[in-house]
Amino acid sequence: MSKLDNIPVRHQPTEAAGRKRTNPLAHVFDELVKFCQSRSMFMLHYCTGCGAIELPPAMTSRFDMERLGIQPMVTPRQADILLITGYVSIKTLKRIILTYEQMQSPKYVIGICSCTVNGGMYWQSYATAKVLKDYLPVDVYIAGCMPRPEAVISGMRELMSDIKSGRAQNWKRYYENYDHYLGNQQKLFGEDWQTPTDIIAEARHYGLMTDRTLGEHTALLEKHQRPLEALEMRLSAREKQKT
Amino acid sequence: MNLSELLIELLLMPLVAFVIGLGMVLMMRKIAARLGRRIGPPLLQPIYDIIKLYGKRTQISHGLIHEIGIIMAVGGYVAAETLLPVPGMNGLADKGGVITLAYVMMIPSLGMALGVGQCANPNGSIGISRALTAMLAYDIPFILVIFGAAYVYGTTNLADIIAIQQQQGVSGWGLMQMPLLALAGMLALPAVMGKQPFEIYIAPAEIATGPMVEMSGKFMGGLFVMQCFQLYTAGVLYTTLFLGGGAYWITFLPKIYAVVAIPMAAAMLFPRYRTEDVIRLMWKWPVLVGLMGLAVAMK
Repeated sequence: MSKLDNIPVRHQPTEAAGRKRTNPLAHVFDELVKFCQSRSMFMLHYCTGCGAIELPPAMTSRFDMERLGIQPMVTPRQADILLITGYVSIKTLKRIILTYEQMQSPKYVIGICSCTVNGGMYWQSYATAKVLKDYLPVDVYIAGCMPRPEAVISGMRELMSDIKSGRAQNWKRYYENYDHYLGNQQKLFGEDWQTPTDIIAEARHYGLMTDRTLGEHTALLEKHQRPLEALEMRLSAREKQKT
Repeated sequence: MNLSELLIELLLMPLVAFVIGLGMVLMMRKIAARLGRRIGPPLLQPIYDIIKLYGKRTQISHGLIHEIGIIMAVGGYVAAETLLPVPGMNGLADKGGVITLAYVMMIPSLGMALGVGQCANPNGSIGISRALTAMLAYDIPFILVIFGAAYVYGTTNLADIIAIQQQQGVSGWGLMQMPLLALAGMLALPAVMGKQPFEIYIAPAEIATGPMVEMSGKFMGGLFVMQCFQLYTAGVLYTTLFLGGGAYWITFLPKIYAVVAIPMAAAMLFPRYRTEDVIRLMWKWPVLVGLMGLAVAMK
């Protein structure tokens, strides 16, 4: 054990597999980018639950999230954080997954209210997805019914410190364990569930393929997968009847 | 002036413009925050945003034109900065003149239209059609003001315009010589900057930020950079035409920041105008005031 090379280390997948980083300042840049990521968070709030009512005071004059660099953005393309405020019904969960998959990595999910943790007061409901992290990797939970704006901001600060220290890597888990997440989604939505985003190809692109990315559920997906077709262009419903 | 000096100026002018523009973006967000009784973003927030956007792992491109569109949007303003004289640096201002500048200032909107077109997002198409319509609305008073100023000074050369104003002191400023044209310019300025209340083409809650809807990562970062240039260009052009430019940075900077801050502080209080109302408003009041100013100038 005198040589460093002989010490067994747990194998970790390297950043951007296949591309060797030669820039001596790469580490400095990484730190800078991480710091900026933590200080500039654009959030997309998916406000179908009651917790949404606590966000306006958190954003406006009383608590002012913008002083922490957090500001609302309206499309998944621009957002860093997906904020899920409150209970998630099976119908809305589909939309949440579509939105999440369209977001640009690195991306983070925050579950607000007890409903996202364990179903909360809707735990008996047949139409509610109880545990959010079964379907998406969640970075921070803010429990409460509903959590006050102070709690929301303290949760945000926790996420900020996680990003700064490089611990917030949960978005990689979605690629690494795609089979698990897809399996849970198929249980709710049926076997023919598919999204427009090709997660497996993205996992390959980022070098995040593991032995848990593919499995029985992705095989089922491939069996049912239909290629995406462009939407039909027509002006009104009447026009279709004519043709 | 020799070639190496010119090259250094061409490099420095966009850089200086970018840094000042970052300050203007911060100021704009601070004004909006203060009017809402908030504290607003920290000092370096615009830089954090831009670095973060460029540092994103996923960069979704919708094709070559999408990328060229963003380059046109930023590049058009970079070209415009080299035509705007600032204290100590004239760049290409002697050769270009205000008419070239007016042409170059249209390139970014067209570049954005190209880029957004390739994204094929309906929200983006609606947004960019609104943005180009708004351009049609504010370009009429804008050109009127530029024409009137050039007529009064007898030259289209921006460096000469500054020299003429500075010879006569404050009483020689365009603001004193042709107050009506200056007023028309000030009325059209928020629309030129694409800010409240004329930002219906962005309309976040309605068409999901319009032209920016498919922009992510470095593309969005490019647009953030463009915004810095946009505010800077509007501020410097107005200062050059009506506020005597600046012999020193210490007198020049307060002027350009004030030019951006004054319409912004007033405009943030108004709700958005619809596109047709933007045209009606722009073609009525600034054009009317500008035409009157022109008539007074020509007597």
